[in-house]
Amino acid sequence: MEQYRNFDAQDFTFAPQGALIIGENGSGKTNILEAINYCAFGKSVRNSFDEELIGFSKAYFRIVAAFSSGEESRKITAAYDKKRKVVTCNDVTLDRISELYRYIRTVYFSPEDIGIISGAPTMRRTFLDQAISQYAFLYLQEYRRFFRVLKQRNALLKKELSFQEKKAWDREFIESSAIIYQNRQEYLTSFIPLLCEKYHEISGGAETVTVQYKHAFPCRDGDDYIGQLTAYLASVEEREWEAQRTLCGPHLDDLIFFLDGHNMRRFGSQGQKRSLAIAARLTQAMLILERNQDPPILMFDDVLADLDNHRAANIIQMLTGDHQIFIATPHPGGYTDFQLPIINLDKIL
Amino acid sequence: MFSGLLGTLVEQLRKLPGIGTKTAQRLAMHIVSGDKQYALDLASVLKEAAENYRKCTVCNMLTEYDVCSYCADTTRDESQLCIVQSTQDVYLLENMHEYRGYYFVLEHLLSPLDGMGLEEIHFGALQQLVASRTIDELILALNPSTEGESTMNFLADQLAASVGSITRLSTGIPFGGDIEYTSSMTLVNAFKRRYHV
Ligand SMILES: [Zn+2]
Repeated sequence: MEQYRNFDAQDFTFAPQGALIIGENGSGKTNILEAINYCAFGKSVRNSFDEELIGFSKAYFRIVAAFSSGEESRKITAAYDKKRKVVTCNDVTLDRISELYRYIRTVYFSPEDIGIISGAPTMRRTFLDQAISQYAFLYLQEYRRFFRVLKQRNALLKKELSFQEKKAWDREFIESSAIIYQNRQEYLTSFIPLLCEKYHEISGGAETVTVQYKHAFPCRDGDDYIGQLTAYLASVEEREWEAQRTLCGPHLDDLIFFLDGHNMRRFGSQGQKRSLAIAARLTQAMLILERNQDPPILMFDDVLADLDNHRAANIIQMLTGDHQIFIATPHPGGYTDFQLPIINLDKIL
Repeated sequence: MFSGLLGTLVEQLRKLPGIGTKTAQRLAMHIVSGDKQYALDLASVLKEAAENYRKCTVCNMLTEYDVCSYCADTTRDESQLCIVQSTQDVYLLENMHEYRGYYFVLEHLLSPLDGMGLEEIHFGALQQLVASRTIDELILALNPSTEGESTMNFLADQLAASVGSITRLSTGIPFGGDIEYTSSMTLVNAFKRRYHV
């Protein structure tokens, strides 16, 4: 890491099993996890702007990371100088930063993950779309296409009335929406049963977890999606011209988590929500492993601290693949069982 | 270093597509320091081309005449009309030596974000052209981008009643392509437009 957050120039070499990163708050534990994640997503997992990642009063940052898995090894670099961002894989500049999804897969367990259960809908859509992109790389292409059509359609709704032109864009919008919905539906079919299983293992409870895909318009799952969306768009035509934007579609859909039939967002305890969020991340990781036969790197940013030791131990033990695991925490006491090499930032910096 | 006329030349060259500052400087140096006659010939052909090329009054293709050589060729098949985005596309299609019908150049694709609407794609002129002929097959030869698809949707809706049939170029798996690495949109398109063997 070069001029990245609080690291001016710092090299780390990690063991195949990972590391237990300890240090006072502000020592930069999360920054290390963020830098590794940057190589998988091409942006900050903490939603920071690239400018904010540049060290204080510095002009640029650079991350150089070497990954290896089995026979394969890759060098990823990412650099940003307040004007341009350049990401390379094995010294070849990537045309699209999202190509990283092909090469490096990580799952980051963040303290903010509770938002997947009870935060704003956009957090759930981001979780879902990112998970699908890691699982099926081609989804990204459809996703980009959908948002291009959506932007065009919204621009059209801001112009004077042109019903004929709108009809042409409606057809693209409907087809593209159907592909996004179908991909999400397929993913959820594998995701939900596994989520339920993981939740039981973490909580020790036997409650049934169900997840409902909530459309932004009245839509019966299982019936003809394209027909229903077409009919609904026709019925809100006037309202859309008035609002000057698209009022339904996958960009507004949501997920609702239920525990024994009760809406978790409203009735779940903090502990239940936290356990379910961790179960969701674990499921994401399991599906990546299953699909790509390559265990993603797992990063726990102090999220196990709130659970009791027994549950935390459960979680680590249920990781079946050869995951490289990073745990960042100010309190190493609870993690001595895991026998991860320790990196103490208070001693390094 | 590049001031006066040379600086102006660099600035003008840099406006060409695909030309950066470095290349513009190299080209400018080549023009002023190399073969004088070549530079003067280049200047005069630039001037002549710029003055003489205009849009064909029938199909919008760029041509030296008021009516392009394709529109003026009465031996072509009037029952076919092929819609393309640019003059360059006409040349590409002509190179196949497969097609003997007429063309219409839209110049743009529908794109509300860029302010491209019916006027910009010359829809009025196209409608008139279609009405004045008996067309059996209208061929939509546009790119399968979101903008191209929407434009094809629009033209198909609007012109279906005025022509015998409407076709589009098949989009599908490229030669040597692998189904596993084909996007589902491409796969959906390829499947929709499958054909008998
Ligand atoms: Zn012509």
